[in-house]
Amino acid sequence: MRVLIVIPAYNEQVALAGLLVEVRALAIDGVAIDTVVVDDGSTDRTAEVARDGGARVLRLSRNLGIGGAVQSGIRLAHREGFDFAVQIDGDGQHPPSELPRLLEVAQREPAPDLVVGTRYAQAAEFRSTFLRRLGSWWLRIVLRVVTRARYSDPTSGFRLYGPRALAKFDETYPYDFPEPESLAIARAARLVVAEQPVTMRARQGGTSSIVGFSTIYYMLKVTVAVLLTYIRATRRAEGPDGTSN
Amino acid sequence: MAQATDSYLIFAAACLVIAIVLLRLLLRERITLQGSMSYVAFLVLLGAMAVFPATTDRVAHYLGFTLMSNFLFCTAIAALAILHLRALVTLSKVQLRSVTLTQELALVQERLDRLDGSAQRGRASDSALRAKPSAR
Repeated sequence: MRVLIVIPAYNEQVALAGLLVEVRALAIDGVAIDTVVVDDGSTDRTAEVARDGGARVLRLSRNLGIGGAVQSGIRLAHREGFDFAVQIDGDGQHPPSELPRLLEVAQREPAPDLVVGTRYAQAAEFRSTFLRRLGSWWLRIVLRVVTRARYSDPTSGFRLYGPRALAKFDETYPYDFPEPESLAIARAARLVVAEQPVTMRARQGGTSSIVGFSTIYYMLKVTVAVLLTYIRATRRAEGPDGTSN
Repeated sequence: MAQATDSYLIFAAACLVIAIVLLRLLLRERITLQGSMSYVAFLVLLGAMAVFPATTDRVAHYLGFTLMSNFLFCTAIAALAILHLRALVTLSKVQLRSVTLTQELALVQERLDRLDGSAQRGRASDSALRAKPSAR
């Protein structure tokens, strides 16, 4: 089985070296692991650190945002025929040691297309800020109302993509704050989404792009985006004549 | 009537000035002809309204405007809103294409780097193989 670990990174030279050491230390029976760091137009030594750490590097010539970076990795995984792609944030919040748990869920029957590592399904060691937890709570409600599905951690970027999810997200993936929107796309495309409790930790370096008032903008933007994305994706899935594709 | 026509000629002159600016931008290739055609149409419309105020006045009254200036401003605002919407659509298309291009460029570059790396390794092992017999 071939797994591609996709690490989107923007100015993450501090956290990345340690993260790649952890990734290299991963050894799972019967699983060939490849790693790609998607350097999202960093202005620091992110790409060099990634190469020194033994990872493949996709260097985006300009900053596309997290969605564009993740989709680049997904495209690589899909085109090179990987069985699974696992998204791990470049800031070190997602411990690679949790990857076997996501893989285990992915191999259950019926196999899910997307496995989301959730930090809220069990008592977590790391608690995010109040505003972030509030945002996550609000997005859970929005997704529940729009898609009629329950997701305990819609903002989690610790995910495993199966072949169907890779094909779908190669075709379309949201660019701005993509995690909740991508769940709406997955739901509209009738992908099977599973959740797996995982441990997350505080970022190991760098700074978050969502702080202070941008959290409110984030919530408003994602609320509208989830609604639009779900309507658009449902219409695409149904086809022009209203029949299901 | 002549006085009214004279006063509206200011609008026609403004349209002419904007048209000249547009032409200069086109000549310098700062904008494309395809993208600026709707702007030209907008200028022609406003210019025609200014040059033929009597007709414009009739149309304004037919549409329920008491003052012709209100009709002129409403038309200008509506036309500008349409132009802005068109520009937004074009900009969004360009943004999406730019994202795809950036991703494709990175994917191709990575592939090229890998091919380059394996070619270099191949050359290195070839020269090592060639060097071995001579060492013996």
